[in-house]
Amino acid sequence: MPDELGQHRAALTELLLSIADDKLMLGHRNADWTGLAPILEEDIAFSALAQDDIAHAGALFDLLADWNDDDANRLAFGRQPDEYRCAALVTLSDEFDWAVALVRQFCCDHFDQLRLARLAASSLQPLADLAARMAREEALGVGHADQWIVRLSGATAEARQRVESALRIVLPLTPGLFEEPAGVAELEACGLYPGSTDQMHGQWCEMVSNVLEHAGLPATLPPRSGEAGGRRGRHPAEFPGLLDEMCEVYRSEPQAQW
Amino acid sequence: MSVSAGDNIKLDWERQEDPQRLAAFEARIDAGELVEADDWMPQNYRVGMLRMAEHHANSEIVGALPEGEWITRAPSLKRKLALIAKVQDEVGHGQMLYRVSQDLGKPRDAMLRDLCTGRTKYHNVFNYPAPTWADVAMIQWLVDGAAIMNQKSLADGSYGPYVRTMRRINMEEAFHFKSGEDMVLTLMSGTPRQRRDTQAAFDRWWMPCLMFFGPPDKDSTKTSPFMTWRIKTLTNDTLRQRFVDRFAPAAIDLGLEIKTKQRDASGAIVSDDLVPDELIVHDEASGHYGFTQPDWDEFNRVIRGNGPLNRERVGLRRFSYEQGAWVRRAVLGQTCGLPLAN
Repeated sequence: MPDELGQHRAALTELLLSIADDKLMLGHRNADWTGLAPILEEDIAFSALAQDDIAHAGALFDLLADWNDDDANRLAFGRQPDEYRCAALVTLSDEFDWAVALVRQFCCDHFDQLRLARLAASSLQPLADLAARMAREEALGVGHADQWIVRLSGATAEARQRVESALRIVLPLTPGLFEEPAGVAELEACGLYPGSTDQMHGQWCEMVSNVLEHAGLPATLPPRSGEAGGRRGRHPAEFPGLLDEMCEVYRSEPQAQW
Repeated sequence: MSVSAGDNIKLDWERQEDPQRLAAFEARIDAGELVEADDWMPQNYRVGMLRMAEHHANSEIVGALPEGEWITRAPSLKRKLALIAKVQDEVGHGQMLYRVSQDLGKPRDAMLRDLCTGRTKYHNVFNYPAPTWADVAMIQWLVDGAAIMNQKSLADGSYGPYVRTMRRINMEEAFHFKSGEDMVLTLMSGTPRQRRDTQAAFDRWWMPCLMFFGPPDKDSTKTSPFMTWRIKTLTNDTLRQRFVDRFAPAAIDLGLEIKTKQRDASGAIVSDDLVPDELIVHDEASGHYGFTQPDWDEFNRVIRGNGPLNRERVGLRRFSYEQGAWVRRAVLGQTCGLPLAN
């Protein structure tokens, strides 16, 4: 980490971990569909989304490892549950309901696009460059999700009902995406992470409700919440189980090369 | 409701083709020309090619399952990404091969339904379990190595769309193989436990890989007309020997021991316990490695559906098909469903 940023090290680490952890877990969840999606073409698409998200997480872990003299794989697989900073929505199990997976992706991708746009305007150039590259890939994911939401909602009554019930499961978890990482105000003030959460939440509501209205779906979105959750290391009861599976082989011999 | 469009797609060796057309067709094959989808072809050529392409497509998507179940547990970011990409490639191969098969006369959904109901098969090798991470490495190195060997010979075949698909698949498989080789090498250079797991995984996959190429030529009934038409270009035994010649020395170099089932003096298998295969010796005169044949009774049990994981693999495909039916109804207007499971 450049010397002049030393005073912001903790806040920057919290912010970047929240992004990287979201992406790692969302990619992990999306990869559940690899080999099992409803249509072969979507199998391939969901695998590509998963790879983009995990690759983005990896790039951020590399940056953090470099700044903090750490190891990217330890960051991904070697932390305790309360050291992860992901929101509850990204770890939500879709129970093999593709509508839930799709709506989860839709909400998270729109959020990530905004978060990355803020980061791409950062005064820290290497971080801004990385975020800009990720944002270009994120745009593909956003387009994919938007199209499918509209397409399914306009197809059959059955598909529409599936999307509606997925929205009932997913939307209540979206305020957790907007929970602020510790120290984010100082990053906003010094230009490392321009913009504000309120502004981002407003933009997200507008984009998401535009698509939902276009699809003729109910578009009542929950307000922001002040509750402490994933960004403070407080996760749903299922989270340690998810980590146990994800880290099973890594933990079996943490010093080994794989 | 019809559950299969494949009922009329049967081999019929009694069928009389127009002799002039047949002669012209075989002359084209002999001259090394490629047959295209809209060219005239004997019905048995069409059926044989369809069966092979469909079986191959089925194998790609069922082959995605044993490795796919390890994506959630891959132990590094690099391996996790590579494994998703690899399984994604397999599904992509399945998609390309279903397209080749569709052009030969069977709709994709009929093929997927036949796979779920057990009317059609996929490669036997995917009925074996992958209980450790080392099995993932072994599948990518040894099973993909066997697949490449087979598919290289199929890329010399006569049906243009399949040949071109094979060339593309082989390029991607070469990456999988390299990745598998790197994984096996990493594990064999690792901790005692990693090396032990890798040997155990090799023990699980060596014999299924010998069976991969199909029954011995003396027992194979369908080789000859398909060889004449270049649907197949090399016999099962030729490919098996090539595999052993390539992988026996590579395994030994890596520090792996090649084993086989315990036999009595007459050669009959007396136990499923494994002992070193003493026939693994390089014969200077022939240039080939010797090897003990795998357990062909086991092979026959597995192809009849009684392998370790036949039910689980087909069951998971069926689960996936049923879970996704609403999406296909919505966007493809698909109305067929599956008959009830047994």
